Amino acid sequence: MTAMARDLQLRAKKGLAQLERRRRDPRHRRVLGRLVALGLLTTNQEVQDERARLVVSDVLWAGDSEPRFLELLPALLVKRPSLFVDVKALPADLEAVVRALRRNQVPPDFRGVPGAKLQQWLRSVGRRGKLPSRLKAFRFQDDDLALLTRLRDELGITETAVLRRGLRALASATWLR
Amino acid sequence: MMREMAERLDAWAVARNLEARADGLLTLAPGTLHLLGQTALFEIRAPLTLTVTHDVDLRSDCAHAIETELQRLLKAAGKELDPLGREIWMPKETRYSVLFAGEVVTLKVADLDAILISKALKAPHKNRALVVEYLAQGASPRFMRMASKYRVDLEGFL
Repeated sequence: MTAMARDLQLRAKKGLAQLERRRRDPRHRRVLGRLVALGLLTTNQEVQDERARLVVSDVLWAGDSEPRFLELLPALLVKRPSLFVDVKALPADLEAVVRALRRNQVPPDFRGVPGAKLQQWLRSVGRRGKLPSRLKAFRFQDDDLALLTRLRDELGITETAVLRRGLRALASATWLR
Repeated sequence: MMREMAERLDAWAVARNLEARADGLLTLAPGTLHLLGQTALFEIRAPLTLTVTHDVDLRSDCAHAIETELQRLLKAAGKELDPLGREIWMPKETRYSVLFAGEVVTLKVADLDAILISKALKAPHKNRALVVEYLAQGASPRFMRMASKYRVDLEGFL
């Protein structure tokens, strides 16, 4: 081993000791345990079966040594907010990411994690494949509204579902004929 | 886990080919799946502290039908193919060892040094802990040579 490699190893040992201290911290163990219990992460470390709700600041702290926690955090805040005790007061950078994800837009990079990677998780956490919907307003005439209400009642579905079905029926009638 | 999945995938492809031959149709050509990234580290039982998401990093030259079936098998096991997996950069020196060799599907896995060089170069922030742990164990001369060749800033990890 060269002198340079030996020196690197020595300094890396100090860095590793620091990392291991962080991994032993209850905040790290709680976050890892919960994400493993949810089936979102797999690890070869020993984990405690954790069922308690997560504290956002704990995830941010632990994410410093395990960035995969930061990768998952914004999508979980959007799709599974009940996993956290404190979803209301988020740091400004996290709030901006969550706001973009709620609109299913590519968020800004978050503490070293690329925005595209953060958005990718929306499909995989919570109800798989279900993405946040977006608000769009239309103005209808009374007879349109009456028709919408009648279809809603007769089909036993929501007004949004009536519009979705209508759009798809129109698309298939127009393009697939 | 990936070895068993490759076995099942191969059995599926062999069955498809038998049917295709009987019907006089084209068969699925043999192909290779190259396992990369964190899943590969798990599969080779790298002596490092590992945490992985359910994303599987793979490069494949298999037929589309085989890839589709693989996606289905992965999904059933709670895993998913990383859509960016094909874009993963690996050093030229990467050595692949065979994890499973079937009639149609072969599964190969990249070596520890090459995976860590790829991670250190392309996503240093995300993989800092892994690289520090490896350096602390005493990185191999091959890793050090590749780090110098690809200008990986190892100092930046410490």
